Amino acid sequence: MFSYYFLLGVRSLRRNPALTALMVLTLAIGVAASVATLTILHVMSGDPIPHKSERLFVPLIDNGTPIPDKAAVAEIGDDKMSYIDAANLLKGGHGERRSALYGFSAPIEPARKDLPAMAAQGIAPTRDFFAMLDVPFRYGQAWSEADDKAGADVVVLSRALSEKLFGSVNPVGRRLRLMGFDYQVAGVLQSWRPVPKFYRLSGGSGAFGQEDEFMIPFSSAIRHETAPKGMKCLTDREPGFQGQLGSECTWIYFMFETRSGAGRAELQDYLDNYAADQRQLGRLERHAKNELFDVMQWLEFQKVVGNDNRLATWLAFGFLLLCLVNTIGLLLAKFSVRASEVGIRRALGASRREIFQQFLTETAVVGLVGGGLGLSLAFGALGLIAMQSEQLSVVAHMDWQMLGAAFALSLLAALLAGILPTWRACQVTPAIQLKSQ
Amino acid sequence: MLNMTNLSKVYRTHMIETHALRGFGIQVNQGEFVTVTGPSGSGKTSFLNIAGLLEEFTSGEFVLDGVNVKGMDDNARSRLRNEKLGFIFQGFNLIPDLSLFDNVDVPLRYRGFNAAERRERIEDALAQVGLASRMKHYPAELSGGQQQRVAIARALAGSPKLLLADEPTGNLDTQMARDVMELLEEINAQGTTILMVTHDLELAVRAQRNVHIIDGQVADLARKAPTLFDAHVV
Repeated sequence: MFSYYFLLGVRSLRRNPALTALMVLTLAIGVAASVATLTILHVMSGDPIPHKSERLFVPLIDNGTPIPDKAAVAEIGDDKMSYIDAANLLKGGHGERRSALYGFSAPIEPARKDLPAMAAQGIAPTRDFFAMLDVPFRYGQAWSEADDKAGADVVVLSRALSEKLFGSVNPVGRRLRLMGFDYQVAGVLQSWRPVPKFYRLSGGSGAFGQEDEFMIPFSSAIRHETAPKGMKCLTDREPGFQGQLGSECTWIYFMFETRSGAGRAELQDYLDNYAADQRQLGRLERHAKNELFDVMQWLEFQKVVGNDNRLATWLAFGFLLLCLVNTIGLLLAKFSVRASEVGIRRALGASRREIFQQFLTETAVVGLVGGGLGLSLAFGALGLIAMQSEQLSVVAHMDWQMLGAAFALSLLAALLAGILPTWRACQVTPAIQLKSQ
Repeated sequence: MLNMTNLSKVYRTHMIETHALRGFGIQVNQGEFVTVTGPSGSGKTSFLNIAGLLEEFTSGEFVLDGVNVKGMDDNARSRLRNEKLGFIFQGFNLIPDLSLFDNVDVPLRYRGFNAAERRERIEDALAQVGLASRMKHYPAELSGGQQQRVAIARALAGSPKLLLADEPTGNLDTQMARDVMELLEEINAQGTTILMVTHDLELAVRAQRNVHIIDGQVADLARKAPTLFDAHVV
């Protein structure tokens, strides 16, 4: 019977086309608004590395000075660490893999004469970074452990930068003038842009920022005294880069990978023991708890999805609710003129349940058409949002999961809107309707 | 075929109780053509609605083709209505945005016949009423008499045991009414039991038996239909 009801539903779209168009449009606008905001929220709050997000941990060691003002203490909550701690944790060798990294901007002098010098965004991690984050390579591979130890001048390029500098050829082994030094290309990445960019988050900003264009060994960046992009210093420090390295200034991101989620406790013990040792050396005076975040906890801590995003989603769903109320009114109007048909069908053998199924299927058809139109509008809205900025273009795109969810949402919305009008239609007393014809 | 015993139907509102039928009894046998007459408000419509399982009765017994319908739920009543009964109404009651084919198809869909059987039954029924060539037309494209023929085809398509007709000629001119009546007589001759409510005593006398209802009760159960003279008396 479903195919019969579906066919009747399609035909009923033609009946009273103005009312049908209004219903479809009302649903479509509500669905488009909620799907567009939900899509953005979905992308922003997604797990960027689902197969191992529970095994990657960001440690936080609070190395600030004690401040009696509690509010100030609460405000500090730094999300990076000092070079002293990063270097010690690297040396400690705990976890399956580990990497310190920091971001910086560097000038590049292309070998090609037709290309001008340019500035590029890069990071300086250790070799483990590539395996930890399953970074995909197009050409070559990550630099070696020996390169890490020696602070070798090797570089891994993003696909986009490689094509810009070397065209479509494999540039592995070629040389590149970076920050005034000759770097040898060790590898080229496939297009790789985890969303959010969890390995380099600070205060929620940059979570959807641009792709890192190159990577050089952490030790190489230190050796060349490459200045980080951002640094927080709460205490005085000696001048110069060496002063920075020996200071309590925080500017380095750190990440561990454990063999399993259970490795977390072991890692926490290690951090606590490390902090205790450091306190004996006169550091870490605040005696704050050493935090360990897995990837999703880290995104939450960094407030990657801001309250304004959540509010926008709630507002969009409020708007969808309003659209639903409107649709209910329109459906009531549409079904009220069909009381005679209900009477006829009941007389000819339809039970209330069958009438309910028929009318609900008709509302589902309206929902499907409204959902289809709503999806088109949502695509349009996302396109407009994406045009606003590079950051928004990263999050304003729909995946298959959201496409399915959008259809389910529009269908559910239509069915919800259809329940009351359908129930009313089922209450028609056939005898009265048949006599009144 | 249809047996009602001591049936009553009471409509209750906050203020008043209206007894539409009281102590009502009737028996209609297989193959009969029975007309029901009576003044307005006598209970004819209530009787027909109860006979058609469109309304429930307050008390009494009602057996339809050997099935006691008392206490049946909506699903069972709907199924019984679909299988045993055919309806013909004064206002034709065709669904305007369905073609003749699809209108006749409606009760067959609820019966669960497969597509081939539905098509065969629809074509046979429309052929029986002389409208086989117009099955793709819509009700608005037909005259009143033709629309009533479609309604008869729809009622016949499911091979009902009992055909209930409520003033089937009430909206038709004399010639069309005569044609429809002849069609009903033909159907009855083929074995279908017919119960017809009418105000038209000229038609009532053509049936094998007439039941006259007054004040919710059967006033007269005669083996023969009333004469036209009786009509004037009534």
